[in-house]
Amino acid sequence: MLSLYTRRRIINAVGLAISILAMAFGLFWLCWILWTLLEHGLPALAPVVFAQMTPPPGSSGGLLNAIAGSLMMTLVGTLIGTPIGILAGTYLAEFGQRGWLAPITRFINDVLLSAPSIVIGLFVYEVYVVHIKHFSGWAGALALSIIVIPIVIRTTENMLRLVPTTLREAAAALGAPQWKIINFVTLRAARAGIITGVMLAIARISGETAPLLFTALNNQFWNSNMNQPMANLPVVIFQFAMSPYEDWQKLAWAGALLITLSVLTLNILARVLFRQKAASH
Amino acid sequence: MTAENIANPKITVPKIIVRDLNFYYGDYRALKDINLSIAEKMVTAFIGPSGCGKSTLLRTFNRMYQLYPKQKAAGEILLDGENILDKKQDLNMLRAKIGMVFQKPTPFPMSIYDNIAFGVKLYESLSKNDMDERVEWALRKAALWTEAKDKLKQSGTSLSGGQQQRLCIARAIAVKPQVLLLDEPTSALDPISTAHIEKLIDELKEDFTIVIVTHNMQQAARVSDFTAYMYLGDLIEFGDTSTVFTNPKRKETEDYITGRFG
Amino acid sequence: MPMFLREASLKRHTVLDLLFRNLTRVSAFGVLILLAAIIGSLLVGSMPAIHTFGFGFLTSSDWDPVNDKFGALIPIVGTLVTSAIALLIAIPVSFGIAIFLTELSPRILRRPLGVAIELLAGIPSIIYGMWGLFVFAPLFADHVEPWLNDHIGTMPYIGPLFSGPPMGIGMLAAGIILAIMVIPFIASVMRDVFEVVPTLLKESAYGLGATTWEVMWKVVLPYTKIGVVGGIMLGLGRALGETMAVTFVIGNSHELSKSLLMPGNSIASALANEFTEAYGELYTSALIELGLILFFITFVVLSLARYMLYKLGQREGQVS
Repeated sequence: MLSLYTRRRIINAVGLAISILAMAFGLFWLCWILWTLLEHGLPALAPVVFAQMTPPPGSSGGLLNAIAGSLMMTLVGTLIGTPIGILAGTYLAEFGQRGWLAPITRFINDVLLSAPSIVIGLFVYEVYVVHIKHFSGWAGALALSIIVIPIVIRTTENMLRLVPTTLREAAAALGAPQWKIINFVTLRAARAGIITGVMLAIARISGETAPLLFTALNNQFWNSNMNQPMANLPVVIFQFAMSPYEDWQKLAWAGALLITLSVLTLNILARVLFRQKAASH
Repeated sequence: MTAENIANPKITVPKIIVRDLNFYYGDYRALKDINLSIAEKMVTAFIGPSGCGKSTLLRTFNRMYQLYPKQKAAGEILLDGENILDKKQDLNMLRAKIGMVFQKPTPFPMSIYDNIAFGVKLYESLSKNDMDERVEWALRKAALWTEAKDKLKQSGTSLSGGQQQRLCIARAIAVKPQVLLLDEPTSALDPISTAHIEKLIDELKEDFTIVIVTHNMQQAARVSDFTAYMYLGDLIEFGDTSTVFTNPKRKETEDYITGRFG
Repeated sequence: MPMFLREASLKRHTVLDLLFRNLTRVSAFGVLILLAAIIGSLLVGSMPAIHTFGFGFLTSSDWDPVNDKFGALIPIVGTLVTSAIALLIAIPVSFGIAIFLTELSPRILRRPLGVAIELLAGIPSIIYGMWGLFVFAPLFADHVEPWLNDHIGTMPYIGPLFSGPPMGIGMLAAGIILAIMVIPFIASVMRDVFEVVPTLLKESAYGLGATTWEVMWKVVLPYTKIGVVGGIMLGLGRALGETMAVTFVIGNSHELSKSLLMPGNSIASALANEFTEAYGELYTSALIELGLILFFITFVVLSLARYMLYKLGQREGQVS
């Protein structure tokens, strides 16, 4: 008996030790990647990065046009994707009890949620870029919005489902029509969660590279016209990092640090905001 | 259940008459041939063990069950002589006439003022002054005015549980309904808040017809004029509260009331 | 109160109700349209290649833009191999992390560590790629690959997989970077499904004197099996479609090699590297067909993943 018990204890200890190692393994990469980013990115993050345009090969410059382009396309993509996502998510949560549409949409949406983003870029290229015959900021924003939609649908539905049914019943008991109940009571009650979802979606698209390669492409110069090819941080990082020029590589590290910092900040902010809101209810 | 088994109380002015009401959750029959009348400007209590159908019966009066698929009612419920189960009955209009307060307080995620104005704005367009007066009137009626008058702009969720429930009562009466449905309104509250609400019910019946579901027999005895005892979807006994509690006609009722059951 | 006003607002509410419901329904329907449009446009775009190469496209290892001969075998194999390597590493590590987060971690550390793992998932894939190219690959070439060559490369059967010049970039490096990328996805799904196990069930097992390891292995894992597999499939879906992290380190070579240390190509990185520079209708069309194949594979994998996770959720609903 004792030997069996000892063996079980040893297996347990070994198993748990391995699990601790696994946790350390995961954290190790996170720390290593962040450390590398700081090590290479911080020295490169000079004020000119925010003041000058992307340079031609072999010379120095900044990332101003890429930063601006990224901000614009992320903003437009979010503005297109969020309302559609909230409306569709509302349908799934509030009207979806009957009929075939909701279960199928829910399933397809969950699949699109992790569909390869490069295919989204390919899709926008096929249906939009080919027809206008040039790359453009709108095409990039469109591709990003397609990535935003499933994320916002999922969080909207989840958050609406967390709203207690008694709240809906209470509003209905006053004789409120459904559009009023949803817009003024349930969506409002789910607001913090939905905002969190939108922030996570912004975080996700601000680092997306693949869907922009065939849509916005890149632009060496300042451009605020969404109808023209548009510079953006991820694609600039991709091109500069793969290049043999040291100045370009330095800028790529600066851009990588910028993107990562903003993505992680958004992630953390979203979580903090959600927890605060959740705690106050 | 045949009608003669039920002690029929003398109801001179019935506000609601229920005739042969059956209710189904899918295939499950949750109410069986219910017949009873609700007296105008009186308090009627539904009591019985959990699962007996008392809340289900209450929720047929404003057709709340229609929010959910697979639930349906058959029979007649006459409100002032009009059958509210009729397909032509507009649901929102019906619910504007019949207010409801739930087991747990359900303040909307908005200010105290807006909580009360929400229902009023649905069917009336009042001036700012009139609305202010209406909000004050409802809060006074619900005995919440003195506590809430200085924080009308604060969120409804900032109130205590008992205050939230009175806010919900104020919200329900602000639209001036004819009937007030209370679904175990004090089951989530402490004894002091419960006493507040019971006192309130007594005052509110001057203006409203009140139907209350409660699992607390003492509460039914304290606040109601008529009591219906239900069991497994049947209406077992219905009569004056004093008769039901002191001299029940049926043995099942007596067993439940004296605590030998449930 | 004035009755006419009520009638007017009732009518308005009915109309607005109808409008709002249909607006949300159209948006939901839009998701289906989107899927149909993606599949449709990819099909149309790949028609020239489908007509020219037929099913041979899937089995041919040609990739010769000069002579307009294209086959998808190398990118498909590269995609599957790198994803397989990634899963091989990621599954046990994710399981360990999930156990740690649900059972072992001190209560105060549970949340920050969980967030840290989720942050790992939040880092954009291009960062993984860059890091892989500049930091990981050189170290890998200097320290790991020579060792693999000397020790495993000489073994029978699996030896050829691990022999070859230590270049750093290649299928193995891409697979490892993919593993780091999908670990957080798989680990957080596993943690979530472990958390649905009723506490009572775990406590009953502990009550019988079971060790933590036994509770996880013999109670929690069987109970959540289907959800765990769903999480793994979700990670696989991610790995298959991942573009940037792989593009930097896989080497982009259209040659089939036995060794995992040699450069290869994946569907996504072929697209990323060649699409904007592709000339001629057939070249573009072949790349789009690659995209179609990738979408099809990930769609199947992700559908299975979702189906399994729904199954777990449904059973959960019945139990409670």
